[in-house]
Amino acid sequence: MSSLYQSMIAVIEQSITPLAGRLGQQKYVIAIRDGFTAALPFMIIGSFMLVFIFPPFSAETTNSFARAWLDFSLTYREQLMLPFNLSMGVMTFFISVGIGASLGRQFNLDPVMSGLLAFMAFLLVAAPYADGHISTQYLSGQGIFTALITAIYSTRIYAWLKQNNITIRLPKEVPTGVARSFEILIPVVVVMGTLHPLNLFIAAQTGMIMPQAIMHLLEPLVSASDSLPAILLSVLLCQIFWFAGIHGALIVTGIMNPFWMANLSANQAALAAGAALPHIYLQGFWDHYLLIGGVGSTLPLAFLLLRSRVTHLRTIGKMGVVPSFFNINEPILFGAPIIMNPMLFIPFVCVPMVNACLAYGATRLGWLAQVVSLTPWTTPAPIGASWAANWALSPVVMCVICMVMSALMYLPFLRAYERSLMKTEAQKAQASAPLTGTVSSN
Amino acid sequence: MYRIMLCCSAGMSTSLLVRKMVESANERGIPVEIEAYGVAEFETEFPRYQVVLLGPQVKYMLKTLSEKAATHGIPVQPIEPMDYGMQRGDKVLDFALSLINAAH
Repeated sequence: MSSLYQSMIAVIEQSITPLAGRLGQQKYVIAIRDGFTAALPFMIIGSFMLVFIFPPFSAETTNSFARAWLDFSLTYREQLMLPFNLSMGVMTFFISVGIGASLGRQFNLDPVMSGLLAFMAFLLVAAPYADGHISTQYLSGQGIFTALITAIYSTRIYAWLKQNNITIRLPKEVPTGVARSFEILIPVVVVMGTLHPLNLFIAAQTGMIMPQAIMHLLEPLVSASDSLPAILLSVLLCQIFWFAGIHGALIVTGIMNPFWMANLSANQAALAAGAALPHIYLQGFWDHYLLIGGVGSTLPLAFLLLRSRVTHLRTIGKMGVVPSFFNINEPILFGAPIIMNPMLFIPFVCVPMVNACLAYGATRLGWLAQVVSLTPWTTPAPIGASWAANWALSPVVMCVICMVMSALMYLPFLRAYERSLMKTEAQKAQASAPLTGTVSSN
Repeated sequence: MYRIMLCCSAGMSTSLLVRKMVESANERGIPVEIEAYGVAEFETEFPRYQVVLLGPQVKYMLKTLSEKAATHGIPVQPIEPMDYGMQRGDKVLDFALSLINAAH
């Protein structure tokens, strides 16, 4: 057991930690993550509007409150849709500016300028303009990957031009603010002069504009991202990173976010059209079924710790239980500890995977309402799960089932861990007080 | 006035520890300013502080972050995982103060 553990630690230190370091510090992964983080508040509020527009009642309801709400939302649909359309509906605006600014900061460029440059680069290829109107078709989920690519491209161009001193030089007497506004001129010209012809070329060759072509190319990847293997792989990666003490969710969500957002907007479009929701694996699924109380679904474990026979674990439980409601569980992870603790490795890795299978299966069978809203990850799991699914009741039931599963799986391993802790405590006591000789061994 | 910066992924779990550290500093009458940040804010915020402590879950970023902070002569160190988990505000405060005293 101990040699197995030693070799596991060796593998973690020699390969997993450097891998996580490389992935987690990769400029583009960071930029994409920061971009989505910046866009999130607008999208959370925007998608919150969906509840008002599509109240969680059936069309035949006779309840007067529900009836009034339904009628109101039907009468004022257009007005109610406006905040939604101008936040979720144009999510790529926020995302492209956010990614451009974050990447710009990492390349020591002016973040506002690089954000705006990314924004223009995106509009140039994704917002076809005719008769005084721009088409909004690709400004939501369909345009996400284009927003990523154009933001990275434009910022790289800006950085490259600056590094190579290809810029408009003004005399030293010109104030720096003025000089800076001139500095951006050449990047704008280069980005326009490359992206626009490329878009025209792609359109001429394929009959599709760039976002369309990119979505077409990525179609297999996007649909693969919504499968059970994708869920299991991403959560396994996250758990193993976290077990090694590395913030794995930071890495996994950085990679999954573009897929989650594209699929979320597809679900919302289906909801608005009254069609069946196409996607299962979205941010809300990850946050509220797989990370109940934080990574490893440790909220039930926090309750178990509260009643532990070992003082140390009871203390951790007391400290950890309140933050756990809001999905913050570092006190438990590092305090129990779960990190690098071979006795809790199996439940820590398996609990979220088993819960993923349960929630995925239940959705497939049509028992579990799907995600249509963005929610803050700090929302307590059952509330968040319900909110994400337009306040359906089935997600609450699912959360409770997941929590029970989690408690059942942690319990035997926790008991074994407690026994080993009590044994070492007893040994220590015996070693430090050999003269009294009254310490019982069990 | 000692200025201490804590940094983790989103600045959530470190903010729990900040409260404990401030409590401990108040008890001992040490004037401190302690804030928690997410790593995304690292670059813009660190120059205002005398020391940066990292949550153990972002320890893998230590090298890059300490290289950046080294240009300002600001030490960056990870927090001992057990102290982090047990929320030992007093021990982490001592650690931060010792780093500040060593650096200045």
